[in-house]
Amino acid sequence: MKIILTAALAAGLGFAAGGAAFAYDGTNCRAPGNCWEPKPGYPEKVEGSEYDPLHDPTEVSKQGESLQAMDARNAQRVAHFKQTGEFVYDVSKIPAQ
Amino acid sequence: MIANNGLRGAPSRLAFSAALAAFGLTASPVLSNDKLVELAKDPANWVMTGRDYNAQNFSEMTDINKETVKQLRPAWSFSTGVLNGHEGTPLVVGDVMYVHSPFPNTVFALDLNEPGRIIWQNKPKQNPTARAVACCDVVNRGLAYWPGDGDVEPLIFRTLLDGHIEALDAKTGETRWKMENSDIKVGSTLTIAPYVIKDLVLVGSSGAELGVRGYVTAYDVKTGEQKWRAFATGPDEDIRLAEDFNLANPQYGQKNLGIETWEGDAWKIGGGTNWGWYAYDPDVDLFYYGSGNPAPWNETMRPGDNKWTMAIWGRDPDDGMAKFAYQKTPHDEWDYAGVNVMMLSEQEDKDGTPRKLLTHPDRNGIVYTLDRTNGDLVSADKLDDTVNWTTGVQLDTGLPVRDPEFGTRMDHKATDICPSAMGYHNQGHDSYDPDRKLFFMGINHICMDWEPFMLPYRAGQFFVGATLTMYPGPKGDRENALGLGQYKAYDAITGEFKWEVMERFSVWGGTMATAGGLTFYGTLDGFIKARDSDTGELLWKFKLPSGVIGHPMTYKHDGRQYVAINYGVGGWPGVGLVFDLADPTAGLGSVGAFRRLQEFTQQGGGVMVFSIDGESPYSDPMVGEYDPAMPGEPT
Repeated sequence: MKIILTAALAAGLGFAAGGAAFAYDGTNCRAPGNCWEPKPGYPEKVEGSEYDPLHDPTEVSKQGESLQAMDARNAQRVAHFKQTGEFVYDVSKIPAQ
Repeated sequence: MIANNGLRGAPSRLAFSAALAAFGLTASPVLSNDKLVELAKDPANWVMTGRDYNAQNFSEMTDINKETVKQLRPAWSFSTGVLNGHEGTPLVVGDVMYVHSPFPNTVFALDLNEPGRIIWQNKPKQNPTARAVACCDVVNRGLAYWPGDGDVEPLIFRTLLDGHIEALDAKTGETRWKMENSDIKVGSTLTIAPYVIKDLVLVGSSGAELGVRGYVTAYDVKTGEQKWRAFATGPDEDIRLAEDFNLANPQYGQKNLGIETWEGDAWKIGGGTNWGWYAYDPDVDLFYYGSGNPAPWNETMRPGDNKWTMAIWGRDPDDGMAKFAYQKTPHDEWDYAGVNVMMLSEQEDKDGTPRKLLTHPDRNGIVYTLDRTNGDLVSADKLDDTVNWTTGVQLDTGLPVRDPEFGTRMDHKATDICPSAMGYHNQGHDSYDPDRKLFFMGINHICMDWEPFMLPYRAGQFFVGATLTMYPGPKGDRENALGLGQYKAYDAITGEFKWEVMERFSVWGGTMATAGGLTFYGTLDGFIKARDSDTGELLWKFKLPSGVIGHPMTYKHDGRQYVAINYGVGGWPGVGLVFDLADPTAGLGSVGAFRRLQEFTQQGGGVMVFSIDGESPYSDPMVGEYDPAMPGEPT
């Protein structure tokens, strides 16, 4: 209840321009293209809250690493294909430049 | 790879003369996208997913019309030899039909002079683990065709579920090159059809249900060399924003929002994959597509607008730079993955000004029409009056006004939200009739209850975090789980529906329209149907072997108009049937909604081709017969 009251007060003070922000309706923007607001009773930031996703940085970086490795293998395939006219998928069978 | 005697017969005369025209009558060197435009003008061909770059699924042919449609009969058919969902539609170029299949994504080339002959088939070896990270059946949406140039013969492109993009020689089926685009070890797969613009092939991405950060990639058609890659979230240089990005509509947002509308590093696993369809305007030189939902489905774990997921994009095909983007569903709370079909048209707006437009029926229950030169919002209408998460979209700001009662959040079970996560419109590729100025849309009528839960992110594992129950919308029969679909004719300028009808199940596969005044579509309960484009009256139908989740197509061969459609139920609505699931919340909530489907259809897989009176090359029964007098001749 305390949090809801705070949100209502903030709206009343003009923090949210487009009307009373008793609930998130998507029309009170802090900047163009940035109109999210926490719902009443929910945190502005989830870090440190009961809803903290606690993402493991190692897990979160795996996609980027995987893309880099695929791109590197593809580059070897393309280089060999362009040079010889022969396409070899298995990079271990592509002779070193 | 099995290849036999290569291409038999010459390309159809129409196709040939169109190609000649493209070569002979143009003074400047002909770009291959011009060749595709020329080929698409010939009713003999269907050279890309939506027939041509306008993605209208419209044919000028009138042989099959309101009068003759009652005589439509099967001419021939072909089984792909695999089950699971058969999405997309075959391509026809000259005398050859190219057919794709779900996993393992075999491609077949069929001889239209004698469709019993498989000219070649290319069956790839794939890591079967790919099946385990496919969210919604092992479907694939189609092939792409590049017409060739002086150096390289025509090519067919396909995506593989295990993440590869591959170029095949259109005449022999042999692999020219094969590149890695997506890694199943991190939950990233491919189901989207490739798309050819100029000498580039575009490849989308899948896996937002496994936290995959979405991207679109362009490869050189001849070598497979990567030309550019644009992400949906993160730093502007990754998203590839042009200098004048959203200059016409700064209220949509411009710089740094791929980071600022997320908390911390959440954008790195933020979804935004694109697995829908593309359209392209050669004059404006922009291509259009939609980015998907943010990850996870649990909205409480990702504060912010989560840009640029759920956005309509206009990008330059040469360098991938975005000229505009409009976010339809800021901070998604319902999995309204914004990847749906983009249909281009030229119409006068309410002020009588001719506009180059893009019309897009979204999962969120709104059909958007934008000026495709700059992203101006022209109209945003509800697909059905039962949409309740928003009271409507403000055309000046572009913002949807949310009804907080139908939002989702942690420690709360939201009920009766419409549309459901399956959307009021899903992956179906619809059609537009330019004479009638009507869009024919296959619509879903499904609502849901939704309760999120906390979960960790582990690369390669599902990252959903919500439990769903889905059921028919208010106009359906909730007690009997029927009445899950609608079919409507829509005017994007007036916002009016010229007609609308209910369907037993969702119209999942899309539609096709013809100048014969007909609109065709397939149904999940196993019919292909033809309706009167002006009234919606049902004029004809045929019971196919299995339900349909692909879009119909039409082509002319030897002076005869054919209509073809894939059958083979599956996709998200079919996961209960396909994987034999009983828990109504299984299959991301679709099992309960479609519990009656198995009473109407079972799995299948193939193409059925129709013509007036079922006329085909085999109307002469001697065509294709074995001739013992010529034992050395490959038949």
